[in-house]
Parts: sequence; C-alpha cells; structure tokens
Amino acid sequence: MTIRKKWAVLPVFVVLAATAAIASAYTGARQQQQSQQPTAAPGAASATTPPARATNKAPDTVIVNRGEWGYWGGSTRQGRSPVQPIAFPHPRHVQTLGMNCLYCHFSANKAMDPGLPSVNTCMGCHTVVTAQRPAIDGMPARTSEGITKLTTYWKNKQPIPWVRIHKVPDYVQFPHMRHVNAGVTCQTCHGQVQNMTRVYQYAPLNMGWCINCHIGNVNPAWKARYDCSTCHY
Amino acid sequence: MSESSTPGTDPKPGTSRRTFLKVLGAAGATTAAIGCGNDTGEKLIPYLVQPDETVPGVSNYYASTCRECAVGCGVLLEVRDGRTFKVEGNPDHPLNHGALCSRGQASVQGLYNPDRYRQPMLRKNGKLTPVTWTQALTLLGQQLASVAGAGKTASALFINQHESGTFPGFLDAWLAGYGMPAHLSYAALSEGGVIAANTQSYGVAWPSLDFTAAKLIVSFGADFLETWGASVPQQLSFADARAKGADAPRVVHISPRRSLTGMNADQWIACKPGSELAIANALAGSASIEAAAQAADVPAPMLQSLATQLASGMPSLILAGGSYDLALAVNGLNQKFGNVGRSVLTARPIESFEGMSSDAELTDAIEKMRAGQVSLLFVRGANPVFTSPKSAKVAEAMAKVSFKVSFSSYPDETAELCDLVLPDSHPIESWGDAQPLPGVISLQQPGMDPVYETRATADVLLSLEKANPKTEGAHAVPNYREYLIGRYPGGTTAFTSALIKGIGSGTLAVQRAKKTTSATTRTAANLEGTSGDMYLVVYPSPMLDDGSGANKPWLQEIPDPVTKVCWQTVIEVGTKAAARLAIDSGDVLRVETPNGSLTAPAYVYPGLRGDTIAIAFGRGHTAYGRYAANIGSNPGDLLPVAFDAKSGTQAWTSTKVKLTKTGDFIPLVSTEGSARQHGRGIAQAIDARELGIVPTPGEAEKDGSGEAHMPGDASHAFLPGLRAPVAQDAQGDLPSDDNKKGMYDPNHWSGMAKRRWAMTVDLARCTGCSACVTACYAENNIATVGAPHQSTATPGLEGQPGANILRGREMAWIRLERYFEGGDVLDDTFETRFVPMMCQQCGNAPCEPVCPVYATYHSPDGLNVQVYNRCVGTRYCSNNCPYKVRYFNWFGYGEPRRPQYAWPERMSWQLNPDVTVRGKGVMEKCTFCVQRIRETEHLAKLEGRAVQADEFTTSCAQACPSNAITFGDAADPAWSVTKMIEDKRAYHVFEELNTFTAVVYLKKVNHSLAAEA
Repeated sequence: MTIRKKWAVLPVFVVLAATAAIASAYTGARQQQQSQQPTAAPGAASATTPPARATNKAPDTVIVNRGEWGYWGGSTRQGRSPVQPIAFPHPRHVQTLGMNCLYCHFSANKAMDPGLPSVNTCMGCHTVVTAQRPAIDGMPARTSEGITKLTTYWKNKQPIPWVRIHKVPDYVQFPHMRHVNAGVTCQTCHGQVQNMTRVYQYAPLNMGWCINCHIGNVNPAWKARYDCSTCHY
Repeated sequence: MSESSTPGTDPKPGTSRRTFLKVLGAAGATTAAIGCGNDTGEKLIPYLVQPDETVPGVSNYYASTCRECAVGCGVLLEVRDGRTFKVEGNPDHPLNHGALCSRGQASVQGLYNPDRYRQPMLRKNGKLTPVTWTQALTLLGQQLASVAGAGKTASALFINQHESGTFPGFLDAWLAGYGMPAHLSYAALSEGGVIAANTQSYGVAWPSLDFTAAKLIVSFGADFLETWGASVPQQLSFADARAKGADAPRVVHISPRRSLTGMNADQWIACKPGSELAIANALAGSASIEAAAQAADVPAPMLQSLATQLASGMPSLILAGGSYDLALAVNGLNQKFGNVGRSVLTARPIESFEGMSSDAELTDAIEKMRAGQVSLLFVRGANPVFTSPKSAKVAEAMAKVSFKVSFSSYPDETAELCDLVLPDSHPIESWGDAQPLPGVISLQQPGMDPVYETRATADVLLSLEKANPKTEGAHAVPNYREYLIGRYPGGTTAFTSALIKGIGSGTLAVQRAKKTTSATTRTAANLEGTSGDMYLVVYPSPMLDDGSGANKPWLQEIPDPVTKVCWQTVIEVGTKAAARLAIDSGDVLRVETPNGSLTAPAYVYPGLRGDTIAIAFGRGHTAYGRYAANIGSNPGDLLPVAFDAKSGTQAWTSTKVKLTKTGDFIPLVSTEGSARQHGRGIAQAIDARELGIVPTPGEAEKDGSGEAHMPGDASHAFLPGLRAPVAQDAQGDLPSDDNKKGMYDPNHWSGMAKRRWAMTVDLARCTGCSACVTACYAENNIATVGAPHQSTATPGLEGQPGANILRGREMAWIRLERYFEGGDVLDDTFETRFVPMMCQQCGNAPCEPVCPVYATYHSPDGLNVQVYNRCVGTRYCSNNCPYKVRYFNWFGYGEPRRPQYAWPERMSWQLNPDVTVRGKGVMEKCTFCVQRIRETEHLAKLEGRAVQADEFTTSCAQACPSNAITFGDAADPAWSVTKMIEDKRAYHVFEELNTFTAVVYLKKVNHSLAAEA
C-alpha cells in the first residue's frame, strides 16, 4: 500500500464512522420511544411470540419488544431470540404440565450456574412421551418434530447444541443461587419464559440494570451489595 | 466490548508503525460505532448423561497421589465440569498435610501440555508418525512374539521411573510372564549414596526427620528444602522448628555452595568440594580438627566450635548429601550424638525410596545396548538420554537396539529416539497407588478422562497380555483398577472407603526385584587429580528437578529461589572469583572439561567459594516440547561418567573445569532489581537473643542490631473500613442510602465494612521455596510471558526465551524477594532474607487516588480492588505503587489469536473458571483471592450461617509447605490472623508511608553463634 493510497482510505472510514454513529443514535432513540409506550406493569406477561421486525443481523435473530425494562442503552443484546436446534416449547412444559423451572435448571438455587438439563433428563419423560403424539389437548394425532429431533440426538449420543441467549461478560461473576434464594424470581431477569414459544433475551443484562436492582430500586427487599468486587473479579 | 476485526490492515513491510496505527484507529472506530459482533453464536452444550455427583459451577475434589517425584505426597484434584484445573495438597495426608511444592502443583501443566503425544506414534521412514492404538498394540505383540521366537527375551530391558506402590511389582510379574528380566527402577540425580548408607546404617532407605527435636542442624550439602529426600514433609517440620523462636534450632550448612537450604542456615561453612568427609570425621573425633580445617580450607576455630556444640549433648540433626562414605559417617555422627530415634526417625521411614536402582546399573544396561546385547528396550517415565552425562553416549547405545518402545507422554529426548511410542496417561488420568510410609497406602485416582488418546501403561500391559494366547490367563482382571482393588488389603469395601480421603492403612504386597550388583567400576577420579582451574558443582534445579519440570512454563518462569534467574542457565561464580577474574553478571563464560564444553552467562553469587563454579541441572533440552527445547544449557555435557564407588551413584561434583571469558555479554533473565535492601527495611530480622526482651510494639526505637523497630501497631492499622478518601468519594456516598458513608459505614446493612481481610507472613518460617508463587499462577490464571514464541514483539530479542522478562513484563502477582544482608562487600557470613511480596492491600493506597477511571479503589471489606473491565491501562497506579506489585498485561496473553497467547491448546483447560482471564492493556494484581472470599460468602449464605473463622484461605497460604502465610479477617478476633498480628515481631513494609497495609510481616529470627553460647 503506497502512502498516497492509504491516506485516500482514511476519509472513507471517517464518513462511515459518522454515518454509523448517527444511524445508531437514531434507531436507539426510536427503540426507546417504542418500548416505553406500552408501559407494562412489572410481572405482566409481555410479548410471547417473537414477531416484530426483522433486522439486518443474522437471519435467525429478531429483535422483539424490549418489554417492561425499556431501553437501557446500545450495549445490550436485549430482545435477541435465536433459533434453537429444537424449538423447545416452554409453555407446554411449564403451563400445561406444571413443571417447575428447577426440574431442568436444577442448580439455579444451589450454584453459580443455573444448570442445563442433560439429554437423559429429557429422555426420562420422552422415552414414554414419544414423537408419535396421540390426539390430546384438542389437537389431532401428530408426529412431534421436536421430540423426533431429541430422540435422534439421544440415539446418536450427541448433546443438543443450544444457542446461548443470556450471557454476562466473562469479567462478571453472576451467582444464580444468591438471587434465587433471595426471592428474585426467574421471571424478573428472564421474563415470562413460561409464555415464550421461543425464548428471547428479556432483560438488558447490562450493569446499569444490575445496579438499579442492587440499590433497591426494583424491590427494597432485594437490596444487595453494589461494591465492584461483588461481581467483578 | 466489541471485537474489532479489521481484515486487510495487516502491517505490511513498508508501512510504518505510526501510519499503521492511524489506519487501524480509524477502522476500529468504524467497527465500534457500527457495533457488530453482537451475535456471538455461543453454544450451551449440556451433558448427555449428567454424572450424579456434579453440580455445574461447583468443584469436586478427588484425593489422589502426586507422581512428580518418587515421594508420593497426597493431593486433591479440583475438578469442575470434567476438567481438573488445580492440584492442591491433601490436608489429611500424613506426609504433606495439605502443603504442596511447586513441582507438584505444576503437574497440571504436564497434563494439558500442548506438546504431549496425542496418540501412539510409530517410526516410519525415520520419522515418528501417528498410528492407532490397535495398530500399535498389534505391532508390539508381533515384536514380543518375534523376540520370544528368537529366544532373546532374557535380553530385553525395561527402564521405569522409580516409584513406590503396586506398579513395580506388577511390571516385574508381567515381564516375568514373557521371560524378561526385572525392570530398572531409575531416578535421575537421586541421592543414591545416602540411600545406600541409610540402608546400611538403619536398614531403611530414608528415615523421617524431625527437625523440631533438634537444637542444632548440620547439613553437609543436604539440600533438604529442595531436592534432597522428601522435601515437603522435611520443610513442614523444618518450619515448625524454626517457628519456635528462641528455642528454634540453629542451622549450619557445610558446602562449597550456599543452596536454598544453605541460605536458610544461620552459618555457612564454605568448605572445599570433596572435603566434607574430612570434616565429618573430625566432628566425630576420629581425625584432627586442624587437618580437616586445612583440607576444607575453612578456619579451624569454626569447626572446633561446631564440634564442641555437637559434643555438648544438645539434641542435633546431621544430614549429608552426596557420597556413600560421607552419608555413612554422618549416620555415625547421629548415632554418636543420640539423634537416632529422636530427630532421625528410623521407625517411620519414607518407603518411597526403597528399591531404587543405581546409576551404575543403568550404565551397565547402556553398555549392553552398545554391545548389541539388548533385544528390546522399554522406557517409561525416565529420560536417560537427557539425564545421563553426555559422555555416557546413551543415544548412540540406543541406536544399537533394533526395537525401542517408549511409554513417555511427552516428546522427550529418549522418546524421540524410540521406534514406537505408546503414550502413558498422566497420573491425573490414571489409577495407581503408593506406599509412602509404613502402614500408609496413598491411592492415586484419575480426576478426569484422558485429555488425549493416551492409555495408562498398566492397562496397555494387561491388554498385551490378553492378546497373547500364552499369557492370556495371567491376570483375570479387566483393567488395572480392578487389579489394584483385588490386591488391596480389605478388598473392594476397604478400597472404596479409602478412596474418599485417598489414604488407606495397610501394607501393599510389593514384590521388589533383587537389586543386581553392578559390574561397572568407573569410580570417580580423585577430584583434585582432574585438570582445570575451578571446581564444578552440578546440582538439580529446585524448580525443574532432573529436567522433567522444564516443559511446564510455570516452573521455567518462576525464578530460581537462589539466583532469581528464569528461562536461562547461568554459571554461578563466587564473588571472590568474579573479582579475581574480572567477571560481571552477564559476561559469557566458557566452561571446558575433557568431556565437553558449555557456554552461558555468569551470575556472580556471594554464596559460592572462590575456587568453585556451580551450574543447575534441568535446562538444555534438545527436545521435550516448546517450553523446554533449546532453552538453557545442560551441565551434564561437561561431566564424566563417574560413580561413587560404594553406591554406584553418578558423582555430580567430580571434576575441575577450565573457565574462560568469551568477551560476550548476555543480559540475565532475572526478576530481581537489587539484591540489597539499601536500608529500606523491607525484610527485617531479629536476633533470637532479643526475642524475650523486645519491648511492646511502639515503645522502643532501636534494638541491639541497630535496626529500627517497626512494630505492628495492629489495633490502629486494622480499623475496619479504613480506606482512602478517594474511595469514599468514588462510591461511598450513594444518594439512595440514608447514611453518607454508604457501605463504608460499619453499621451499613450490607455489613461489608465489618470485615478487614488481612494476612500475616512469618519470615521465620518462610524458606523462599516459591511454592506460593506457583499456587498463585495456578489459582489466578496468571500468564507466563517468557516462552520463546511469546517474544515476537520485543525488538532485538525475537525468539529468545525470557525476552518479555528482560523487558520487565513478568506477571507474578506474588514474588519471592531475596535480599542479602552483610557488609558492603558480602563475605561468607552474609545472611539471606526472603520476603514474599504481594499486593499489600493498603488501607490508604497510593495507587487508588491516581487512577483516572476509578478502576482501582478500596472495597469496604478492606481489599484494594482492581476492576479489570474498568481499567484503561494508564499504568499510573503501578508507577505510584511503592511495593511494585501491579503488573500490566502488555500483549493480551489471554487472547488465543495473539502470538503471546499463554495457554496454547489445551493448556487453557487449566484456567480457573472463577477468575477473569485478563485482556490486553489491563493492570492486574493480587486480589487476596477475592474469588475464594466470595465463594465462601456464597456458601455460608446458602447454608444459612455466617462465615466461620479460618474457614478458607488464599491459594498461596494453602500451598505453603512452611505454613508461613496466614490469611483471615483482622476485624474478627476469632480468626487466627488476629493473633498473629499481635506478635512482637510484627511489622509493615514501608510503614513510614502511612499506607496502612493489610499484610503484616513477622520478622525473621536469626540464631547467631553467640546466642547459643
């Protein structure tokens, strides 16, 4: 690259950066306006299906309504709802069958890590509840696509490669059990997962949002330490 | 934090760094503004079948046995989600009581070593190429059959690492099944002479030593804190003895070189190499003191006073390293002075040293190979090509063997010469046992599945046996684990219950092969008769031992406790010789003997006689992976094959050398600034005589030694919640709270300010062994920076080991400072003081107010917190730190795409999941293991209780084989640290700076000769 050509590149970058900054600020403001309009009461079910607007991100990702938490800045992946290898129906398991969150996410009340069900946990029921579903729940007899996939994974001795939705950065330590045992419901941070046909990131999960709760703004009973070294080490 | 990937902007030749940075900056701004990289696509992979005992994010501990040396200390393998990521001492083990040396802790870097063989290898067209296990085992079966067919099984040879337990007997039985002779149990650089003498005197190879029962400890070059014998149990006992204050034993070290053990001695008698026996005989009264003093070139009154003290009937402990004759004489001294049964516990022998073959036996075997009399060679866990002197020409001899099989897990010098490599699983991946003490069985269990396609040798031997119709029925067990259970006293039930703690009682039915007597009579020539102008002392490196540690970057990077040099072999030259020959540290010297020559930089060391040079053994590998190959030099190149006549042990101090200056200069890869304190009072000491009469802290200004007392004044410095005003300003006054002090108020609802985490370091116990440093590297994901491939960005030093360290970029959060005390010019009476230096967690920290972004601040519980994600890398904090304990991450050692990446696959499996891996441009430092503090707080909360006193400790304190470090809450009198702080020896380093440090040092206690008189 000659010196002359290199300098010719620079203005392009500058223009790109400026455009991107303006575009980002504009869409951010719009999102904020939109999301604050519904003003849903905390705890109420928000959008359950990821409908809304497709973005120019990865094709399997859509940004849904930001829900009751509103807009918390551009650093969040809030609303992200990737397509999972198996379209796991949380509503069926939780609402229809009444399963507790802790049945599958078994260590959320005793460890930093909430726990992800191993494939044999799924197969515990799905050896009986097979892919050939009879006509129940007002639905005709059918072959379940999800259970078929599940049994294929199990037969091939393959774990299910779930796509991670909720993630705090590596420099943040988030102890699930402290929150669950303090009475912070799963829904506070993860939304009404029992209503979601496809799970999306409900809360912003950025630091301002964490601190807002730690200083007692969400629920005075949930006040907790807000010292940096509580989470960052 | 967005990933700014900028394809196409690689610096091309011709683009200056400056213009490149400009382009990069613009590109980075663009990508940051667009904000891509939102979608990581990260996967959450569940278990297929969850093991019953695992909870994600919670560690399991498996009790096992360390196999890094023959001793067999108990370890706990910390396992999370199927990966072993830390090795700690087993607190219930009768040998090491929870402590562990650097080498044991670094075993996990052997497990994940990126250069391990990943599957069996077969030599094809002169090159080792991967094959499958089936192919490899079939081939070996054919070889065994053809050797048997030719009737040559009796000339097969199996060289195994020396170890205790069931395996040696199992191996011999297997060999016998094929008609092959018993194996050689080889340990390189072993104390064979001492073992032979002990067997002669006491009937046991290695008695336990009780240092606490002695008032005078005399060591004839026995480096009992390093590689001599069972170092961890010896160090535990030694530290306990030295912690007794005025009643502690005085230590005398008689040796041409002051080793780490010698540095811990109160007196050094710098005898001539080879004159130790004369001194021992004189102390026994069988020779004249004057003659001995003359032979040893030491003042006669010095020996006379030692003889008088020994004869006075005071309980003593006399130890020897080296030749059989010396060790036998010293055993005689112990018997004469009544130490046997008092400080020499022959009834409690360390059984691990029984049954060791001698170096002469190995040489016999090598000569047989050279003569073409060996039909088949097996090598497991030993590396004779490296550990034998070059003059033994092992490689040439091996070339005469038609088929050579190695069970080595690493591409070491010996394995690289073999025809077939059947990589052994690491001890962390396999079953085994050891018999370290009579009646004590130490079990070894795997902490995880094998990392690579390796198999435990015992299982390989069993499967070979099964594949052969003749030997099929020899063992009716499916695997070696079942074999162990079958032979375990008490059977399955006893085995299963013993496995929980890793320790069982009973005696293993071990069949030891009869020791063959060596035909070789290559007795070491009289040292004086060799030609040269300097004596050469070769000693095993305290960190790398016989060189087996050299492929573990921690052990390469943590400086040698004596020289403070890492990644480099130095030629130690005494101060007097350096003055005589005008040698400075770093001058390149050439050492020549009739056997070979070696070129390396000089290190001028006051703890060495003027007529002697010393070189550590352990570096200078030509193979053994990226962390070992072509780093340093091997002093074995200089030595003749020469044996101690009575024991057949290689004599490592056996020749004089010719020493010349080449005129070149190589800077020393040293982490040391100055070896002297320059009156700063960093490492303080007190004479034992004054211990009883030291006034209460704060009252006296001076003591007899002319050194200012800096008393602990703990009540003042440990006020809970003491902090810098800036910290309070930064976050203490959150308007949402009622009180203005926020969490810094002791009555705040969070209760955080009720605690003040603090630490004491007892310098009377600390020996400078650096196990704490290794523990810190292991716990806190600290990057090693000195490997040759990490030096790409150090202009002029590319490809050099330790290049980053030469630039001052080492990352040791805790370092062992070593200071010499004495006159302006140090003579033989110089004293050494060790100070482990970590972040002092100042209550009034100089680093905090200078941080422009509040990335470092004081937490209400007394920690000087470093928030990595907040840090922007101005490095002001480091510049303002009086203790120099902040380390800057210059190159992003934790980022796999960078050439400086410190954890190449699969070393990254060792990373502690509780601790952030720091990125580029971030300041890092000791955090008092805040992850352990938080983990304990979480656990206590989960169990609905308060944190118990002494419930946990930091990684350094846990590993310390001297129990020198105590950690705890200084605001709660129930913790032991609060009692330690009240000690009369307590002082803060640089107290005059008003930093109110949370680390309190307890002065070293010196035992001068006059104190005893």
